Amino acid sequence: MQEKGFSPMSQDANTLSRRRFLGNAALFGTAIATGVGSWVIPAGWANAAAGPIKVGVGTDLTGPMGYAGNADANVARMVIKDINDAGGLLGRPLELYIEDTASNESVAVGNVRKLIQREKVDLVIGGITSSMRNAIKDVIVSRGKTLYIYPQLYEGKECTPYLFCTGPTPAQQCDEFIPWLIKNGGKKFALPSANYVWPHTLNVYARKVIEANGGEVVFEEYYPLDQIDFSSTVNRIISNKVDVVFNTVIPPGVGPFFKQLSEAGFLKNGGRLACVYYDENTLSINQPAEIEGLASCLDYFKALTPEDPFSAKLQAAYEKQFPGNFLFAAGSAATGTYRGLKLWEAAVKEAGSVDRDAVAKALDHAKIAEGPGGPAEMVPGQRHCKMKMYTAVAKGGKYEVVARSAGLVDPKEC
Amino acid sequence: MAIFEIASFGAIVVLVVLGLGIIASMMGIFNFAQGEFVLLGAYVTYIVHTAGLPVWLGMVAAPFVVGALGFVLERLIVRRFYAAPIVAMLGTYALGLIIREIVRGLIGGLYLSVPEPVGGSVAIGGMHFSTWRLVIIVITALVMAGSYLLLARTAFGLRIRASLENPALARASGISTNAIYGATFAFGAALAGLAGALIVPVFTLFADLGIRFLIQGFVAVMVGGIGSFAGPVAGAGLIGTLSAALPWVISPVIADVAVFVLAIIFIKFRPQGLVAGKGV
Repeated sequence: MQEKGFSPMSQDANTLSRRRFLGNAALFGTAIATGVGSWVIPAGWANAAAGPIKVGVGTDLTGPMGYAGNADANVARMVIKDINDAGGLLGRPLELYIEDTASNESVAVGNVRKLIQREKVDLVIGGITSSMRNAIKDVIVSRGKTLYIYPQLYEGKECTPYLFCTGPTPAQQCDEFIPWLIKNGGKKFALPSANYVWPHTLNVYARKVIEANGGEVVFEEYYPLDQIDFSSTVNRIISNKVDVVFNTVIPPGVGPFFKQLSEAGFLKNGGRLACVYYDENTLSINQPAEIEGLASCLDYFKALTPEDPFSAKLQAAYEKQFPGNFLFAAGSAATGTYRGLKLWEAAVKEAGSVDRDAVAKALDHAKIAEGPGGPAEMVPGQRHCKMKMYTAVAKGGKYEVVARSAGLVDPKEC
Repeated sequence: MAIFEIASFGAIVVLVVLGLGIIASMMGIFNFAQGEFVLLGAYVTYIVHTAGLPVWLGMVAAPFVVGALGFVLERLIVRRFYAAPIVAMLGTYALGLIIREIVRGLIGGLYLSVPEPVGGSVAIGGMHFSTWRLVIIVITALVMAGSYLLLARTAFGLRIRASLENPALARASGISTNAIYGATFAFGAALAGLAGALIVPVFTLFADLGIRFLIQGFVAVMVGGIGSFAGPVAGAGLIGTLSAALPWVISPVIADVAVFVLAIIFIKFRPQGLVAGKGV
């Protein structure tokens, strides 16, 4: 498969010359060699002395996480194109290699190895679930001796050297959000959760913050990932008179769960739903009335665009280039991907090379003045990212931002 | 409250398994694409809804559309597998995979809500019962009764049973077993389409909707016993009720496994299933 449209080569290909024919044939050959599921986006002006800098994206283009992975790949395409249009990095063009991790760890390891061993990329960004990160990080960082940026919100505690995280951590998603929930919901919390690492670890942190702020957890329970009937859970939430449901049940269960909860009268009785991965993608899972008042805390919401000109510009540019189903949203790591690539760009500029140690050293304190939702900076020594956080509430199928952090929130990791 | 919720999930599983059971019992093949017929029923309902038409119209259309597709697939593909049931499993699995991934592409891998035609809940003594789940229980009972009557009381049902029990004799008696198999498969697919249409408001539309019920469905058919109409239905009722009831008393993660363990133990001691023998 050959991605077209970004290289001048394909734009004026109607004047067919021998050289152009050979060039296209070479590209076609690469496409065959890299196989289906690989995308190579060549820099249009590959005439620089040092050759292009290679950026690898390994993300879930297919499978259940496909809706998020495609958005992340789109963001990478957009950022790399912008950098190339502005003259590249260190006078060199950027070349983007996209591999499908297919929502499947064993497929992913093989494909990411291709990025490392065959393409010899200078950076890998991607991975959405924690299990995916754990599966591919060793291939990239230890055996691959390459930088890795993980862009998704997650449970924290990832402290591998050369692995940088640009999505929100539990501290960033809970420290300001849970006090808000206690004020705008109540003190009795329920923690219904999917049975995997993110909910388990996040709940430990959330419980601490809930109790430190005078709330109590009346019920914490874990469910198989594909459970879609929650009658016993809903019953316990109603009979325990829970004020706030701090949910970490994931799709496909979350839709039926919220529906059953609202049918049982939870919202009518003044209950508050909270879910920290809820973004614009997940709004469509339920009818607006079933999640009225649902609160989420993320680094970006589309609702910010009227007040933040840079976010508005970014959102508009993305929607213009990639109209369709794959949204520019925080919960699918699209904002983390943007932040990651721009921080890396800043670090490469400072380091003056793409040498791993030099870039890692610069990335350790890299800053960007503008990004989705505001500026961001790496916390030295933590390999995690300070950023602004926003609390939004779903009203009639749209988010309304109701609270914002005063400044950049500390990730409190490592 | 608990009883209503458990019954409603039991009814949903029965509805999903009905078509699977009819195809397995009356034709002797395990249709691994059954889950995707459920998905297609849900998808048809969603399409009709996004076209701005009322949802109930989609629910009426779904069994006919999916039934017609089932008929075409039987004519083109499935009929070639009757001689080899194991190959039939692989073949229908492949069909299911193709349908599932096409639908995933069409809906962009998202989870989409479809409103129910009759929404809200009925409040009785401070407890809220979902109206739509109530409707599902009623429709399941009607469909079950209707299917039973069709198979047990009509001439068409008699032909279906004859073709299953002794195909050679049925053919000799002037019954076109080929046509009967096609019709039975289409009927089973239509039931799956109906199930998908009815459950999509409860579970939202997503590509793996069908696969979620497939395993449960097969366990239900095994527990209930193959060969009769009543067997799979009884098995589905049992499995559905168990998997909805167990989380009330033990941890849901353990309950999920416990259902299958119990089913395996049951089959070990009663391999012929709840309802033994052929017939209706």
